[in-house]
Amino acid sequence: MDDSAKQVLRKIIRRIPSNKLQNILSKWEHLSKKQFRSLEFTQAKWLLCDNLLSLCEENDLSMKHVTELEMIYRIENPAQGSWNVCQLIDPSEEAVTVDSLTFKDSFKAHLKHLISHVSVKMKKHEDNAIWIRIAWGDNFTQPNHLNPTYVVHHLQTPYVFVSGLTAKHKPFLHQALIPSTHYGGLKDVHLSGRCLTALRDLLMRQYKQAFPVKHPRLLQEKSPVPSHPNIETEHAKHTEKRLQMAAEAFGEGILPKLETAVYKLETRFRENGMPGRREEPFRGVVKFSSSNLLESLKNCVSSGMASAPVTPLLSSITQKGRNYFVITDKGPGVSHTQGRKI
Amino acid sequence: MEARVSAITTPRNETAPHRRTKSYGFSRRSLGVELTSHFGCTPGQLTAVRIPTSRGIPKPRNLTEQVDPEHVALIVKKEWKLSYVTPLYQFRHTQLQSYSKQLASFLVAEKQQGVAVEVGQELGFKVVFTAALGLAETEDDAETVLIQIQSKSAFAAEGETAKVVWSGWLSCVSGDVEYLKALPPDFTCLPLFGTSGAESLTTLVMSWFERTFDCYFGPLGINSTNLEWLAALWTGCHSDTNIRYLKLAWTVPAQPPLDVSYTVHPQDAWELWDSIRQESGLRDTVDIEEVNCFIRGLESHFFRHFRIYLSAGTLTKVATSLGSAHKDGKIRIASSDMMTSVLALLTECALLKMPI
Repeated sequence: MDDSAKQVLRKIIRRIPSNKLQNILSKWEHLSKKQFRSLEFTQAKWLLCDNLLSLCEENDLSMKHVTELEMIYRIENPAQGSWNVCQLIDPSEEAVTVDSLTFKDSFKAHLKHLISHVSVKMKKHEDNAIWIRIAWGDNFTQPNHLNPTYVVHHLQTPYVFVSGLTAKHKPFLHQALIPSTHYGGLKDVHLSGRCLTALRDLLMRQYKQAFPVKHPRLLQEKSPVPSHPNIETEHAKHTEKRLQMAAEAFGEGILPKLETAVYKLETRFRENGMPGRREEPFRGVVKFSSSNLLESLKNCVSSGMASAPVTPLLSSITQKGRNYFVITDKGPGVSHTQGRKI
Repeated sequence: MEARVSAITTPRNETAPHRRTKSYGFSRRSLGVELTSHFGCTPGQLTAVRIPTSRGIPKPRNLTEQVDPEHVALIVKKEWKLSYVTPLYQFRHTQLQSYSKQLASFLVAEKQQGVAVEVGQELGFKVVFTAALGLAETEDDAETVLIQIQSKSAFAAEGETAKVVWSGWLSCVSGDVEYLKALPPDFTCLPLFGTSGAESLTTLVMSWFERTFDCYFGPLGINSTNLEWLAALWTGCHSDTNIRYLKLAWTVPAQPPLDVSYTVHPQDAWELWDSIRQESGLRDTVDIEEVNCFIRGLESHFFRHFRIYLSAGTLTKVATSLGSAHKDGKIRIASSDMMTSVLALLTECALLKMPI
């Protein structure tokens, strides 16, 4: 085991919380049962790490095995760092028939053809997602295993989730992904967040949606209603309407967990009775953040802190599956033009 | 009269029509400042500290000519946690050196949990009190005092500079003249206290001041009215210094809480502010109506897009590249040009917050 592999292993162990360490190591199939039992998980982490290193030496493990450990940890705990979503476009006929084995081989071959020093590791997760770990190097340096890029792709879907990708390596990844999935191109969908499953659920509509109906059925009351019976009757209709509208815009039940939404405003400032009226756009950036943004926005609407009906700007988050928008006055209504991520 | 509460009508507000006690005394708190004390309970002077509804246009002041640039450098760029402090009894600017020694011994004694220490031995801590002369705006203002606590390591090499572990200052800029003149001669009013460093040291320094100068410290928040003043004040500077951005942040009490930040392009923010100023005629003072109009304008531009009532939440932070202020009483002053204007506003907050 060389020094760099040792260094990477130490870093990985340091990153994994002590209470998760035993579980993660048990899934790593490079220690014998006896060796695994010899590890004391109540020990201080550095001591445990030293023991682990000597076991690795014994088994003659290398960087390849060490990165596998990191992948196991990352797959179990994907909410680290921000995930960006890309969408594959223009599928060819073969796109629906790609299987995981040909995808793996073809992706590796394409990437290695583009850049010489790169280390790729792939793993198929239980939910049919293919996890790809890429450590980048360049012509003169060995792959950097400390800051790898993670890519998650569900075959037969157009979505690709990427974390830890620098602008420099972006074209390489795109050029390898497009041919190996048999699509024609890849575009940014302007959606990002920490929770990978939430992004996936949002895009694949795997949350409970509510649709506009003519005779809205009674939604389950979630907020406590004022106690006085008269106030209740007075407000019941409004509350019901608000809840219905909130659910239509953001969905029912547990909503996908997004942290932020960003709107770049380039619209005219035209407030009545205000002096600042002019033709040029009034530039600004609005950022919403919350531990669960969709829940917060839904609550704003249902509690009356937002005026109904819900503006298309906010409902676009779920309806278009994006959380970055550029808003301009051009065209009829509000247009959502493409914009660079900021 | 019998109070008949019918089950059909909405219950009426049954408070007495007028409360006479409200007609005097409380008016100075009427703009949203919390009521911290009742007049009846305080034996002190009756003063006429009021929240101003208009202020002079802040003019950038080149401080480096009057104030030691080193002192200015100590205040700018850091983020300060603010407190108010009641007037100090028998505080002398001439005694700063002796205060340095006393505070150092106090800190050591507290750290050693009550063990007596010889004065002047200064084990572990070195305290420096300095007067930053020239920051005061009027002759009634007491000069600002800077405090630095350096930690001395027992193993430090000869000539190695000690590390500053805590810093703070006491200031009074353009304090209310009537209030300052009404103070008995033995009191020095430095109502604004900024600290940066470990919370535990802040507590110790405060308790030393409280024991030595018979004063009292309390937390100083910056309410939304004052945050709005600061936003307008900084935006107005854009014609002289580029403010780079104007950022306002609100917290809306949804479940879970929703944070909204609105960053406005500096030129556009300034043009809006300027047009409001033009509209009300260019005068030497800025009125609270103009500040309100500016912020309400930004809020309604936001509302037009998102239909969320920001007034349901609270303004928590305003920031430009010249500085930032947080409602919990944290302030960063990034440019010395506007320092006196900001300190004057904060001095006023501290005086208002202080129990009389």
